[in-house]
Amino acid sequence: MLLAPMGAAVLRGQQIDTGTTVGMKAVKIAVPEFRPSAADAKINHLAEVFNQTLWNDLDFSGNVVLASRSYYPLGNFVNPADIRPEDWTRTGVEAAYITYGSVAIPTSGQMRGAFTADLHFTELKSNRPALQPVRWGGGLDTDDAARFVAHNWASAILENLGFGKGVATTKIAYVSDRAGAKEVYIMDYDGYGPFPLTSLRDLSLTPAWSPDSEHIAYMGYRGSVTNIEIIPRRGGPSVPFPSPVGLNTTPAWSPDGKRIAFASNRDRHSSGDGPEIYVANSNGTNMIRLLPRPTSRGIDTSPVWNPATGRELAFVSDRSGTQQIYRINDDGTNLRRIIDDGGDAENPSWSPDGNFLAFAWKRSGNSRFDIYLHDLVTGRNSQLTRDTSDNEKPTWSPDGKHIAFESNRTGALQIFSMLADGNKPQQLTRSGINKAPAWSGYIK
Amino acid sequence: MKQSQSWQSTALLLMFVAFMSFACKKTPAPPPPPPPPPTANTGDTPAPALPAPTVTLRADTSTITRGAAITLTWESRNAATVDIQPGIGSVTPVGAGSRQVTPASSLTYEITAVGPGGRAGDTLRITVNDPPPPAATTSRGGDAVAPPAALNLTAQQIFDRDMKPINFDYDKSDIREDQKGKLQTATNYLKQNATVRLTIEGNADERGSEEYNLALGDRRANAVKQYLVSQGIAENRLSSVSYGEERPVCSAQTEDCFEQNRRAAFRINP
Repeated sequence: MLLAPMGAAVLRGQQIDTGTTVGMKAVKIAVPEFRPSAADAKINHLAEVFNQTLWNDLDFSGNVVLASRSYYPLGNFVNPADIRPEDWTRTGVEAAYITYGSVAIPTSGQMRGAFTADLHFTELKSNRPALQPVRWGGGLDTDDAARFVAHNWASAILENLGFGKGVATTKIAYVSDRAGAKEVYIMDYDGYGPFPLTSLRDLSLTPAWSPDSEHIAYMGYRGSVTNIEIIPRRGGPSVPFPSPVGLNTTPAWSPDGKRIAFASNRDRHSSGDGPEIYVANSNGTNMIRLLPRPTSRGIDTSPVWNPATGRELAFVSDRSGTQQIYRINDDGTNLRRIIDDGGDAENPSWSPDGNFLAFAWKRSGNSRFDIYLHDLVTGRNSQLTRDTSDNEKPTWSPDGKHIAFESNRTGALQIFSMLADGNKPQQLTRSGINKAPAWSGYIK
Repeated sequence: MKQSQSWQSTALLLMFVAFMSFACKKTPAPPPPPPPPPTANTGDTPAPALPAPTVTLRADTSTITRGAAITLTWESRNAATVDIQPGIGSVTPVGAGSRQVTPASSLTYEITAVGPGGRAGDTLRITVNDPPPPAATTSRGGDAVAPPAALNLTAQQIFDRDMKPINFDYDKSDIREDQKGKLQTATNYLKQNATVRLTIEGNADERGSEEYNLALGDRRANAVKQYLVSQGIAENRLSSVSYGEERPVCSAQTEDCFEQNRRAAFRINP
């Protein structure tokens, strides 16, 4: 896998280049619309869903540039015989690759009644398939089925071009009150296909993915008891940590999946002191306080692991009087403050390569939070969002090219995503309050 | 049209079937609960209290109808002697006490506590009204230790009347002076309803991060809990939970609204 290097990040004014297409020579792809095989309202609709999903997946990948459709030749592009490479490489289009094909709901055969797509991906210079032509089925004739095929095809194209799997098949866990109580939901990375995972009908908060993306840890409320609970992402019973006392919140999985860090005041709840950071086995046993002795009566919370090393964590503490981000070794040594430029710094999220922290920062004199990147190598900070709303809770995509976050820029809190350089922001949720996004790893 | 390539069906269909099993909840047997973790050492020890005496005198109501009884409750700390006038005299100087009285006319009770650390006092004005004409009966305050039904209010209504939310300053969990009246009423209620157990719900306004506000709400709930315990309420009757900024009672972005949301509220445990 040839993931574009993020270590070579370059600051340009307030812009940061984390290896996305900004400033890079990008691969250009032509994506003419896949044609429905019949004149039928249903397949027309599914074709639209498929085309939009595929376009967005490739466009938002941050790895390729899509040739503008206004310069495409006229016609239907369904079979190899329909493609004349010179039409697609000439000035205006200038594509290096083309993906095209058709979609259908077969009335007979193995995939009868299901959405199917005949998929081509061709290198134009050689006029040879870069991927073997293939027919994929979505299993059902629904929008989700069409999106599923599109996500997987986009993923296959990006992987073929050497960009890794991309994010097209990844998911985002989050908290939503759209059905009343706040529950943990999961949606596709582009905001489609949301479904509720928890059903506590009380409060479920601060979801976090296991590194294999098979489980989600979250803060669950059962009456006046708050605890860390773990639920399979495909649904099933939650398994709580043993013996909850006091506040238990913000779980975070170690990159090897064996440990969970979280915040709790279990050893000093009756004195009213704030939570401290604990590390336990991923089933909640062998709980130990990260800092061996209390060094502050204040609030320590929001731990995250360095995903590259698994040997250190970042967390938020108000031990200095305001909320700031600290890092510490996983054996409780070498505590030091990371962000030391005033204001309130919260919600650290470590980039997959370990080189950046995304965080929410309310700088001195400001009344609102924005998303910033902290370069752990140079120590420099760069601003990714800039508006009059609160932008908080950044979370990295597994390819390190995107960041999802929560914002009240449209009123109630909603979830947005953007490229890790701040470009291409898009709103992912609209119904109810939606917050606390957590981007999955690669889904198997 | 010519099919120049042979299409391959793929296993994606099967992948999709696995994918769609989101919908069907699997029910693997949950693992047996592991043993409880070792308890770590506790936090700092609070500083010892100053030995100056404190004393409060309260009643379940400040206005009664002549002939009705009223329950005085008092509470003292660090006192060697406690005296209530008129008509009651010396009472036990340790902790809390109560006495039912039937004053014939309006008066002011005065309580004095004397201890090694000095002297403290409190006063309580009781207004005694003439009985109203038969049509306008207000039996409220008739007999404070009677069951709630006698007051014509449901238990929940009395709870709601006496257990008002406690408000806090921004980013603070200290009990404000102006909230102590509400806490005294709450204390009296809990002493008169000794079987009631409750949950104290700590809340924060929306400013600051969700995680920080969860901790701040927890501090507020615990501050109220500790205050009630200091007033003699058994700790095992009081649970606490923080809802952080998740359960606002007011949604506008105004200071007035923020103030309403910075609260510790009470809920009867079933």
